[in-house]
Amino acid sequence: MRRLLTAIVLAGILPIAPRAGPRVGPHAGHRVGHRFSGAGAGVGAAAEQLRVQHIDGGAADPFAAPAGVTAIVFLFTSTDCPISNRYAPEVRRLAAAFAPRGVVFRLIYPNPAERAPAIREHMTAFAYAGATQALRDPEHALVKFVGATVTPEAAVYAGGHIVYRGRIDDRYVDLGLERPAPTRRDLAQALTAVIAGKPVLQPTTQAVGCFIADFVR
Amino acid sequence: MNAALLNTVARPFQARALHVSLGVLLIAAPAAAQSLTYARDIAPLIVDRCAMCHHPGGSAPFSLLTYADAKRRATQIAAVTKSRFMPPWKADPGDGPFVGQHPLSDAEIRLIERWAGEGAAEGDPRDMPPPRAWSEGWQLGTPDLVLTLDQPYTLPPEGTDVFRIFVLPIPVDAARFVRGLEFRPGNPRVVHHANIRVDATPASRRLDDQDPAPGYDGLIAHSAQYPDGHFLGWTPGQVVPLLPKDLAWRLEKRTDLVVQLHMQPSGKAEVVAPSVGLYFGDAAPARTPAMLRLGRQNIDIPAGDARYVVTDSYVLPVDVEVQAVQPHAHYRAHDVRGLATLPDGSTKRLIDIADWDFRWQHVYRFVTPLRLPKGTTVSMRYVYDNSADNPRNPQQPPKRARWGQRSSDEMGDLWIQVLTRDVPDLERISRDFRPKVAAEDVRGYEVEIEKHPDDTALHDDAALLYLELGRHESAIAHFRTSAKLKPQSAAAHYNLGTALTLARRLDEAAGEYRAALGIDPAYANAHNNLGNVLIAEGKVDEAIVEFREVVRLQPDSPAGLKNLAAAYAMAGQFERAVDTAEAALRLNPAETLAGEIRRLKALYVQHKRPVP
Repeated sequence: MRRLLTAIVLAGILPIAPRAGPRVGPHAGHRVGHRFSGAGAGVGAAAEQLRVQHIDGGAADPFAAPAGVTAIVFLFTSTDCPISNRYAPEVRRLAAAFAPRGVVFRLIYPNPAERAPAIREHMTAFAYAGATQALRDPEHALVKFVGATVTPEAAVYAGGHIVYRGRIDDRYVDLGLERPAPTRRDLAQALTAVIAGKPVLQPTTQAVGCFIADFVR
Repeated sequence: MNAALLNTVARPFQARALHVSLGVLLIAAPAAAQSLTYARDIAPLIVDRCAMCHHPGGSAPFSLLTYADAKRRATQIAAVTKSRFMPPWKADPGDGPFVGQHPLSDAEIRLIERWAGEGAAEGDPRDMPPPRAWSEGWQLGTPDLVLTLDQPYTLPPEGTDVFRIFVLPIPVDAARFVRGLEFRPGNPRVVHHANIRVDATPASRRLDDQDPAPGYDGLIAHSAQYPDGHFLGWTPGQVVPLLPKDLAWRLEKRTDLVVQLHMQPSGKAEVVAPSVGLYFGDAAPARTPAMLRLGRQNIDIPAGDARYVVTDSYVLPVDVEVQAVQPHAHYRAHDVRGLATLPDGSTKRLIDIADWDFRWQHVYRFVTPLRLPKGTTVSMRYVYDNSADNPRNPQQPPKRARWGQRSSDEMGDLWIQVLTRDVPDLERISRDFRPKVAAEDVRGYEVEIEKHPDDTALHDDAALLYLELGRHESAIAHFRTSAKLKPQSAAAHYNLGTALTLARRLDEAAGEYRAALGIDPAYANAHNNLGNVLIAEGKVDEAIVEFREVVRLQPDSPAGLKNLAAAYAMAGQFERAVDTAEAALRLNPAETLAGEIRRLKALYVQHKRPVP
């Protein structure tokens, strides 16, 4: 609950930008895999007010999406995290594979020190430009809302709430311990379930990477 | 050191507080737990244990020299030191001591964790340890010769571990004596370690030429070896000190440096341009180490076997000093141990790695060489986990794993570099050890041949090893397969003929030499060997025809003239024999050969035939 309250406070001090498009779902919840009831109240209100930033500044609603979008993937990343960067080809592949099925990928840069020029350079170097959208989360509003702890970490927002949060796959077991190839592709499985209208069987997993707590707040 | 001091002071204080009343403890706690600072507590550890790699231009992917550098990775530093992933040192702290060993103690690791947990404060910059200068260039000084790639290699964005072999010609105009070799990765983000060998043959260069991109993807050629019993290679943070002058290794003209890079893709295409600095001494070595290799090449691990054990041992025939050891295995090994059992039953540890990681393949150099007397048994015991529970297992679900150089195969070697008391002892241990290693190599070739039965290079290498071991019939079988696979290759028939000759199967040998000459009539060595077979069969006149052909094809070869002279003498044509021997001597043969020809000529002058 503390996490949620922080999100409300932080969202409250941000300027509210005009809504960019219709919402993916009616309400957002902070508890993974759990649908909240009660329109416009409590948790739902927190999500409605939650704001991140466009790369060039100005508040952005991370949940805003055009019609036909069935899920949004928030992919927390940073420009110089080696594990995050090594996943770039896989993230692009997933984005391309799920785009026709109404899934939008949004890179979230939670390090306040990473600003527009560095982010643009990063997106060009790792060929994200055109494949994914990008937002900054310097106040960690979205970080706290979904409970992300490292980069890379994914959160899937669908049907008005977060239905998955964790690793992209199980390639990294720990820092310094990785599998030659993944044996479970958790993010892809979650998206496949969401598209099929089924529950995500394992809604949280432990991601391995660079700690968001280390980014200067 | 500040950090250690703080820790020893803080603990007794807290222990005392616990004996006082709870109320006192609660009040005392904030004052007691003086918060840790980067400047006073953490920076000394980083400078001493991390900065040799984590400095600007160092071999680590990022620097940790400033507070800002450390602060932005504080949680990560705490996590990787706690798991002992960093500093990277896989050997048991009780082994060695080894050169370049800089472990963190448990207390130091707890200190880092506390500092990060408390918010990673900077503290008073006046507490900082004195700055240390780190060279961004060559650590051993300006090299005498720098080798680089003709064109850099571009590493693709994706993949797990990439291995690629680069062949660097060494442009020296005369033999040199190498005291040091420093490797610079060029791109520390992706270059993880380097295996380095020296190839005196064109084999590696040919493999490189077949691949249009820089370097080649494949196996290290059999002819690419460690030079004169010296380890070459690089892992991050390790700079091998210059060798003592009397221990330099001899680098011949026209040899190539073979550098196998282990790279980890970064997510985008990366340019890789490593360089190698060579440092020369001015004198030939007075001492040469011997390189022992324990290990098995009949490794065959069933799928799912979580405890497959490989052992090997060797009894030292002379006194030695162990200079360094290097364990080698691939992904499935997890418990890697080497031990020396002395004649009196006492033991000395060579190496103990309880959590083997293929990615940190150090050469462990003893600070003080380990003296082992004659009769000591050096042994190895490696345990492999080929189950699905081993996250490093390259095959999921697990598959049978056999010996092989590819990373999906397995290996299990313990290289032990030793110095002997003197040259006769070096020769003795080399002679004693060679058959053991050749017998193991031949097992490896048989495994490879089973996997690739049509690879003639494998058959040829295996046959050469069988010849060395005196197992002529096995050599004949492999050369015969090669000749069947390449019936139009004169060399294949020549090789088979040579093995048949050594097995004294002279008629068959002559047939193979004739087959070789049918394909390539100008094959001087085939004429020569056929001549020798004919001499042995008493067909001296026919032999003379063959040796004349050798001399016609190779008029500058004193060896050809020497054989022709001997054939003339066998036929009783002593004047011709003397003339031919003199012609051979006029070609200024090497001293050993010249002495032999002079001795033979003296026989011919006395109308005596040589002993065939």
